[in-house]
Amino acid sequence: MKQKTAVKIDDLTVAYNYKPVLWDIDLEIPEGVLMAIVGPNGAGKSTLIKAILGILKPIAGSVTIYGKPYEKQRQLVAYVPQKGSVDWDFPTTALDVVKMGTYGSLGWIKRPGQKEKKAALEALEKVGMLPFKNRQISQLSGGQQQRVFLARALVQNASIYFMDEPFQGVDATTEIAIINILKELRKAGKTVIVVHHDLQTVPEYFDWVTFLNVKKIATGPVKDIFNDDNLTKTYGINYKVSIQE
Amino acid sequence: MNSAQLEIQLIASLVAVACAIPGTFLVLRKMAMISDAISHSILPGIVVGFLITHDLNSPLLILLAALTGIITVVLVEYIQKTGLVKEDTAIGLVFPALFSIGVIMIAKNADDVHLDVDAVLLGELAFAPFDRLIIDGTDLGPKSLWIVGTILFITITLLFTFFKELKVSTFDKGLAASLGFSPAIIHYGLMSVSSVTTVGAFDAVGAILVVALMIAPAAAAYLLTKDLKKMLTLSIGFGIFSALLGYWVAHWLDASIAGSITTVLGIVFLIVYLFAPTKGIIAVLYREKQQRTEVSLLTFLLHLKNHDEISERHVKHLNEHINWQKVRSKTVLDLAQKNNMITIENNIVSLTEKGDEFTSKAIDYIITNEDAQIEDMKDDFFLFRG
Repeated sequence: MKQKTAVKIDDLTVAYNYKPVLWDIDLEIPEGVLMAIVGPNGAGKSTLIKAILGILKPIAGSVTIYGKPYEKQRQLVAYVPQKGSVDWDFPTTALDVVKMGTYGSLGWIKRPGQKEKKAALEALEKVGMLPFKNRQISQLSGGQQQRVFLARALVQNASIYFMDEPFQGVDATTEIAIINILKELRKAGKTVIVVHHDLQTVPEYFDWVTFLNVKKIATGPVKDIFNDDNLTKTYGINYKVSIQE
Repeated sequence: MNSAQLEIQLIASLVAVACAIPGTFLVLRKMAMISDAISHSILPGIVVGFLITHDLNSPLLILLAALTGIITVVLVEYIQKTGLVKEDTAIGLVFPALFSIGVIMIAKNADDVHLDVDAVLLGELAFAPFDRLIIDGTDLGPKSLWIVGTILFITITLLFTFFKELKVSTFDKGLAASLGFSPAIIHYGLMSVSSVTTVGAFDAVGAILVVALMIAPAAAAYLLTKDLKKMLTLSIGFGIFSALLGYWVAHWLDASIAGSITTVLGIVFLIVYLFAPTKGIIAVLYREKQQRTEVSLLTFLLHLKNHDEISERHVKHLNEHINWQKVRSKTVLDLAQKNNMITIENNIVSLTEKGDEFTSKAIDYIITNEDAQIEDMKDDFFLFRG
């Protein structure tokens, strides 16, 4: 059976001040995979996600979500930015941050009501953060903040989830909790795309992987392409990983 | 109180509210300096508007001046985007340039226009009641009141309509963009409101002091609350309070109203800065002291847990072996006893069950950094509150 394509990227080039950070990327992400994007610092991993979501404007190429441009498919997509990209001293509570995930389906002007609150509370429950719903976000630990971000994506009830380094600065328990939720999402037929740093855990966590370093190096099932050859091509040094069975 | 006094206070209060609302978002977006830039660079816009309309309260003048404010923001962002200078440098380059153009224009036209630099910088609130809106011979009150009232009405309407969008784009620009709330539209919307408000307020408090009205109430409110709506309410409250008290201070001292309002704002901020319950300086110092004591307590409890020998658990031992001063030892012992964590018999200290459990949990937390099990301890101990 041929899998549907969730995200299709054609000839995508993105530049900051005329310096390309992503060069001529072609990428097809099949529906229902849990995919890691790996590559060295400055490889354009976050940029790729931002370009897919229309946060950055590419200078060439196109992106489609289930065959249509992103602007028409916003409802299908949830995004978890890097934790460091927001000000955690912002005067708001965990529940309020999760509610922001419902803003997309509400559209302009309309305010969240009881239905949105209920959905937000359920999402907090799923990530084990319900007891902290009224806590100010600066009073949460790094792992708890990341769980709140995950809950905010869950509340969007999307088909495709983009996450930018969700394991950065979180404790081991949170990392396991997050990956379990991501695996559940995949089981439910969702597509999950994660910018990931820890190469050791790639085979354990993910079933699909994309190697990226300004250009796309390789993409495919972890068991087929996660090897020393591709790692060396991506990171530029002779790479050896021991893949745990 | 006569009607002129009442009118001045009303205008000052409305100006304060109109400034506090965009000011709150500027503070949260770390853009306080932009309001300074706008407030100065609207000057050429005001002068050009004044030369055309010969009326400081004309809506055309307000729009022209607000446009200069937007141009300032665009220029700052353009210069910053080149990557050659940082944002603060860009601000420092743009607004003096525009402001100086305004100053020269005033000087060149001083004979024709009733506009001087003093009035622009400090405002003329005391004269506001003299310039009245009269339609068909009916006196409808001071023109400034109508101008500021209209601006405030628009600001409040926009705030209520786009509160959700303002909140999400201020907190998380990336998310806002991905959800389809263009951060650029919201950004320029906020900049437009800030510019219009600055122009409207400029007549009352002048170009320099309008910055204080935007930033000081929001900065004080920021230290007091964890809720955006409460922060807005508090900012507005501080603004009105300072406007009214400032007016009366000026009255008693026979001094500038704008100067007095700003001084009160400064004092309000200072008081909050010192005494805010969690973020204030005094609270922070107290917390640090408590944390030091708690670390000592934990060190002491851990020592007891690790040593069964009586010689190691003698009260005197604290001074000798753990190397603490007498006062510190006593503070720690008292704290431990108060919390029923230790018992002292014949000067020999023993851990109670509670003390033993507390120590294990605390050590566990410090090693694993897992939060779940120490939630109940956070209420009693500063050490565990992030």
